[in-house]
Amino acid sequence: MLSPGAYEDRQNLQTRLAGLRAGVVVVFVFLVVAFWVLQVLQYAEHRDRAERNHTRSIPLLAPRGVLFDRNGEVLVSSRRSFRIAIIREQTTDVQASIRQLAEVTHTSEDELKAIVDRHRGEAPFRPIAVIEHATDAQIAAVIARKLELPEVVVEQVPMRTYPESALAAHLFGYVGEVRQAQLKLPRFAGLPPGAVIGQAGLEQVYNELLMGTDGNRFVTVDSRGREIEELQRQDPLAGQRVRLTIDADMQRALEAAFQADGFAGAAAFVDPRTGEVLALTSLPSYDPNDFSVGISSATWAALNEDPLRPLGNRLIQGLYSPGSTFKIVMAIAALEEGVITPDTEVSCKGSGVFYGRRFKCWNTAGHGPMTLRHALEQSCNVFFYTLGERMSIDTINKWATRLGLVGKTGIDLPQEKASLVPSEEWKLRERGERWYPGETISVSIGQGAVSVTPLAMAMMMATVANGGTLLTPHLVMATDQGDGWEPVAPPAPRSTFLIPPGHLAAVREGLWMAVNEPRGTATTRGRIPGRDVAGKTGTAQVISNEGLAAAKASGKYTRALNDHGWFVFLAPRDNPEIAGVVLTEHTEHGYLSAPIAKHVLETYFAKKEGRPLPVYKSSIPPTSNVVGTAAAVVPDRGGVR
Amino acid sequence: MILNRRLLPHVDWLLLGGVVALTLIGLTTIYAVTWNIADNQPGGEFWRQAYAVPVGLAALMACVFVDYRTLAQRSPLLYGGLLLMLVAVLAVGFEAKGSRRWLDLGVGSLQPSEFARLVLALVLAMVYGDGRRSARSMRDLMIGGLVLAGPFSLIFLQPDLGTAVTLVPIYAGIVYVAGLRMRWVVGAVLVGVLLSPVVWTFGMQDYQKERVLTFLDPYKDPKDAGYQQIQARVTVGSGGLTGKGFGQGTQGAYRFLPEGHNDFVFAVLAEEQGFAGVIGVLGLYLFVIWRSLDAARLARDRVGAFLVVGLVSWFLFQVVYNITMQAGLAPVKGLTLPLMSYGGSSLVATMAGFGLILNVRMRRFTN
Repeated sequence: MLSPGAYEDRQNLQTRLAGLRAGVVVVFVFLVVAFWVLQVLQYAEHRDRAERNHTRSIPLLAPRGVLFDRNGEVLVSSRRSFRIAIIREQTTDVQASIRQLAEVTHTSEDELKAIVDRHRGEAPFRPIAVIEHATDAQIAAVIARKLELPEVVVEQVPMRTYPESALAAHLFGYVGEVRQAQLKLPRFAGLPPGAVIGQAGLEQVYNELLMGTDGNRFVTVDSRGREIEELQRQDPLAGQRVRLTIDADMQRALEAAFQADGFAGAAAFVDPRTGEVLALTSLPSYDPNDFSVGISSATWAALNEDPLRPLGNRLIQGLYSPGSTFKIVMAIAALEEGVITPDTEVSCKGSGVFYGRRFKCWNTAGHGPMTLRHALEQSCNVFFYTLGERMSIDTINKWATRLGLVGKTGIDLPQEKASLVPSEEWKLRERGERWYPGETISVSIGQGAVSVTPLAMAMMMATVANGGTLLTPHLVMATDQGDGWEPVAPPAPRSTFLIPPGHLAAVREGLWMAVNEPRGTATTRGRIPGRDVAGKTGTAQVISNEGLAAAKASGKYTRALNDHGWFVFLAPRDNPEIAGVVLTEHTEHGYLSAPIAKHVLETYFAKKEGRPLPVYKSSIPPTSNVVGTAAAVVPDRGGVR
Repeated sequence: MILNRRLLPHVDWLLLGGVVALTLIGLTTIYAVTWNIADNQPGGEFWRQAYAVPVGLAALMACVFVDYRTLAQRSPLLYGGLLLMLVAVLAVGFEAKGSRRWLDLGVGSLQPSEFARLVLALVLAMVYGDGRRSARSMRDLMIGGLVLAGPFSLIFLQPDLGTAVTLVPIYAGIVYVAGLRMRWVVGAVLVGVLLSPVVWTFGMQDYQKERVLTFLDPYKDPKDAGYQQIQARVTVGSGGLTGKGFGQGTQGAYRFLPEGHNDFVFAVLAEEQGFAGVIGVLGLYLFVIWRSLDAARLARDRVGAFLVVGLVSWFLFQVVYNITMQAGLAPVKGLTLPLMSYGGSSLVATMAGFGLILNVRMRRFTN
């Protein structure tokens, strides 16, 4: 039985149910649209986001290319190093992890904490390397606690290593993490922070070649960063192998001789036929291995604050007055300009008056009548003053340029400084004054506004040795990308002119006499019987003679005011195959540089002929150690490697 | 009259099929998202959910067999029992995740609040459907409101605001079909809007305010509260048109989206099956709701119709809220997706609810 109004009720209910249904449809349509927007319209954005969520790229670091000497001996290599890292994401209590890690590895908890703090801003899944170059004991301790410390991992990384520590440090340079400012440079674009790049020397110049390409592992991880599977692996490509022009034995001989004498200075030995550098050094030096392990601030400060500036490369950055070695330039300029012939005589009475001023010879008794040969042999100042009187400064500048003493040599090392021999135009431009002819007289014995790098002097000697071709010194013979050695074309010569054989013979004869004749300035010191070493000594003034005398009188004299000693050379005289320079700082006499050159030359000839290599015996008595640079030579950093 | 064989042809097999289909889709999604790579097998949640399915079907059948009118007439008794159980939960229930929701029965645990909806739907259907009471007067509304207030406040005290709130649609749905005056609804909405600043200032806990603020700008707090919302959108959005494929999802499986087997099971489905899967499942839910409302339309009496509307209102509310939440369009609340989300008590209670709906339709011709 339906009660009255039941029909009406029923109608009402049906209406309301229909309303409910309409509402349901509206809501579902709304949901469909919402999902359409999310899944279809915004698909790409969300897909990328999900992709980033669960894939990680873990770099596989490429080892830097190995450096070989010209005979295939390994000079610089990379070895595997292990570092211990913490992945913060995988621990709930980082501090506790650090404490335990410090305990088992016997390291300072505070230091580890400081390192983790420095990387606080990085993504928590990224491992923070807290112990670089871990010892075997530390690695074993960590691996043994794999279960207790799952957040601590041992990573293998390549480390640049210089087996002979400070040997040729300025040649190789060093590596270090790319600096913030460097990342903005186009050549370092795309490098990740913390990438290791060459920061000095060959490491810097050939960084692109040596760096190789890092590989990658693409892995899937879960939200706790745990690796699930490896999706893709791209193996790292090691840096190219590079064969240098350097001869390791000569390099060792050179540095051993400097060390034995306790000198600071610079030297280069060049093949005058090719421009290949066989050995070069700058001392005091440093141990590039210190940089590979991440240099400590104390070591860095010590290197920077050392008054002897071990980080600077004296060979290409030190500008020195050439002193008497400049007389070689004067000789060639005068011969080529026709101002003298090889037989022109000039009489030395111990001094001479030029442009109204008296200029002294070092031998105040006078050398008597001199030809070019004897003037070079005995380094007679008056003879060369006379040449300076007969030539303008611009003429001297022209020949100095042709012999490589103006501008940079162009060697493949960074931050080379330009050598300078003045000209009228230069003085007007730089000093705003015209050139006084009297200044030319000073220049003619290598004083005044002449400043040259030791390497420029070596290239001057190489030019004299090869008869007039100014070569560009270079350090790389060949590279190997993994498919065999490919020779590297030598750089083009900077200039070529032909020195007539007669002139060449006269200059070389004079230089030979300087080394081999009893009255020669370098005699007995640089002579090698049967090798016809030809050379020239020189002293580079640090301050003027008057200044030095005043300092001595006032008690302010220190050894740092002493002159530097030059020795430039080529050998053998008639068909030179090696030329170069040795500069020893504050040794007062060029002849003290000669024994070092002699030792390296003897090593060169011994090696060439397959004889046992000579051993250097210092002729400097230990008590009269001229500069006392022993302390400045980077001390043995035992224990670092 | 427990079961009359003549009734069997009147069982709505299509509705039952829809319910079972959604349950199985939920189960397979849980299978995919809990897959343990280390052991190469699905997680324990999958097995627990799988065991709950036959229990749920048994509950469904139980609710079909007993005439709903019998149940409705006994509903005051059931209501009393429910209140007792909820008090027991507060007294001796065990605590998990900061709230007290479960009773330990020795053989397993039971969440009485899940069954509160069934009981409430029965009582309210009885209150408004039996006799001539409508929901036109304020007094009538108040009676139902008091019935609601009992279980609501006890569940709210657990505290489990999420479940308590799901009781409100049951009341709202039933008073709506029982003739609630629409101007009152409009008036109530206006009052609500005017009162919301007061509620915000005095009525809400800080963590609740935080949730609302985070919802409005999830990137304000991308690590904690906003994280789920952001990841839910990423999970759903990265599914695209056709999805990543079964078991190929990364967001849920690798736990970037937490609760992928539970509150966010639909997001995982959207990730793996894409927009196509979303349309399919939404279609199934719509179908189930549609068929259920048919049962209300065809019901022999007001009690039956109101019972169905109460149950459907709750089901609709929770489905829509949960799915809106998956799309990042509603604040993250611990509301599961009925039939699909992990949770044994919820599945059993939901299936029992559909048992009642089937019951109403099946008995539409009986006296």
